[in-house]
Amino acid sequence: MSASITQPRRRGVGTPRWLGYAFVLPLMLWLAATILIPLVQSVALSFQNVRVIGTPGEFVGFANYTRLFASERFWEAFGRSLIWVLGNAVLQTVLAFAAALILKQSFPGHRVARIWIILSWIVPTVVVVIIWRWLLSASGGIINYALVALGITPEPIGFFSTGDGAFASVIAINSWRWFPFQAVILLAALQRIPGELYEAASVDGASTLQKFFNITLPGLQSVLFVMGLIGTLMSFNIFDVIWLLTQGGPSAATTTLPVLIYDTGFRQFRLSQAAAISVVTGVFLLLFALVFMRFAAPPSDDGEEGRI
Amino acid sequence: MSLVVRRTLLTIAVTLLMFLVIAPFYWIFTSSVKLPPEVIASPPTLFPQSFTTQHYDNLLGGSLFLSYMGNSLIVALGTMIITVILSTLAAYGLYRLRFPGRRLLFRVILITYAFPGVLLLIPLYGLLTDVGIIDTLWALIVVDVTLAAPFATWMLQAFFRTIPMELEEAAALDGATRLGVITRILLPLAAPGVASIAIFAFITSWTEYMFASVLIISDASRTLPVGLAGIIGQYQIDWGLLMAGATMTTLPVLLLFALVGRNFVEGLTAGAVK
Repeated sequence: MSASITQPRRRGVGTPRWLGYAFVLPLMLWLAATILIPLVQSVALSFQNVRVIGTPGEFVGFANYTRLFASERFWEAFGRSLIWVLGNAVLQTVLAFAAALILKQSFPGHRVARIWIILSWIVPTVVVVIIWRWLLSASGGIINYALVALGITPEPIGFFSTGDGAFASVIAINSWRWFPFQAVILLAALQRIPGELYEAASVDGASTLQKFFNITLPGLQSVLFVMGLIGTLMSFNIFDVIWLLTQGGPSAATTTLPVLIYDTGFRQFRLSQAAAISVVTGVFLLLFALVFMRFAAPPSDDGEEGRI
Repeated sequence: MSLVVRRTLLTIAVTLLMFLVIAPFYWIFTSSVKLPPEVIASPPTLFPQSFTTQHYDNLLGGSLFLSYMGNSLIVALGTMIITVILSTLAAYGLYRLRFPGRRLLFRVILITYAFPGVLLLIPLYGLLTDVGIIDTLWALIVVDVTLAAPFATWMLQAFFRTIPMELEEAAALDGATRLGVITRILLPLAAPGVASIAIFAFITSWTEYMFASVLIISDASRTLPVGLAGIIGQYQIDWGLLMAGATMTTLPVLLLFALVGRNFVEGLTAGAVK
């Protein structure tokens, strides 16, 4: 006991080292069983030629991988995934910043607004999909009605009938779903930046831009880091909204990597091929995460720990 | 800029923002109670001119909608309970105790989001079949906890970090056991955080579609998102019916959010800024 009292901040009160591991262990075991084991099995599967779930396969070496890297569909999907992540990131960041700056002001009902803004994020994707299919419908959708009535377009637009249109629509719809979530987190971070900093800067004659780059951005750094990391990973892996809206079509125009994996594994019944795509995707994202953590992690503020 | 101009601009901005988020929901709620001809009427009617419950009658009578909803509730509650237990334990270990490698462990937990869900879908199907819980709600609870727990653990950090270590130390000096310290001091203080991750887990599970669409085979065990998606395909697009389904699926979360939305948003954001 006396030893730990001399350095209580190090390890809490009379804490044996194993106790920390003991608390984390249940979660780690759970994640190991549901992620690590499947991951290993995925890698194994990608070296076989299994077609349908549950059927046996033979070892085929790197055949799935060589086929993959020679496949145009794969590279196209990969490129689309990058556009998807970038498009969503830009649109959501702009919308989220705008929303956060608006909600930061005080106006009648601002408390209610700051909570209910997140509504689009808490409903199932299916509902989001039904809402937007209905709003954007070429026959009877209110948006097309408004566009025609206002004379912006002579006849209803088929938002999902052209490749580019469908991809842009899906990105916009997904951003509509996610930007309030990010706005709420940004808003909280903005509110934590002490107002005196801005006042002091004003006294020193700093411009609005200077204040943004020297006060606001540094103040948001740790939040932007976590949002940048987890947001990118989650965004890259989004499947349901695309699948439910377009099933990857028309003619593969909205087939990002997750959609391609699902289509290959569960539509074309080439499970091992799908596993190979998944492994490549996973490795790519892992590398991205490591690089991101290495170069974008905010400096730790208590000497030992970053925020992540 | 004069005060009046500022006020006006702010009012316009707020209105636009809330319109962007809320208006689509208004449109589905009102469409769901219109008679079929009015649903697709041109020009559209901003306020319902007719009132009918026929879409809801069709939904409840013509599909397993209520059992989908029951299944979703069971899965969401199960996910919530297990996530809260696992994440609270882990967050306590990671943020209140110090041991070598905890920073690495924490990063490992967050890195789990790097792997495409689709990647896990294939082997998980086999694994859950071997364990014998495929096509049961347990399969979904297992998966949903995996989706929710890492982020939930991260959300808890703010709450655990802000409670002074001295409180624990003082209690320990007074002879409290570690369990006593946790249940009597830490948990009550971190209660808002625990409530937030409970809601987060509930919503994660309530909205999950992909795993539910593959791991559940029998219609009677389906959850709402999959059941509702099935209704989209099952009928020639019957917008009134879909609007009723969308409304009924939104209502439970609305209710939950009306009760605890403030705590949730505060908890969500506390993790981001502290």
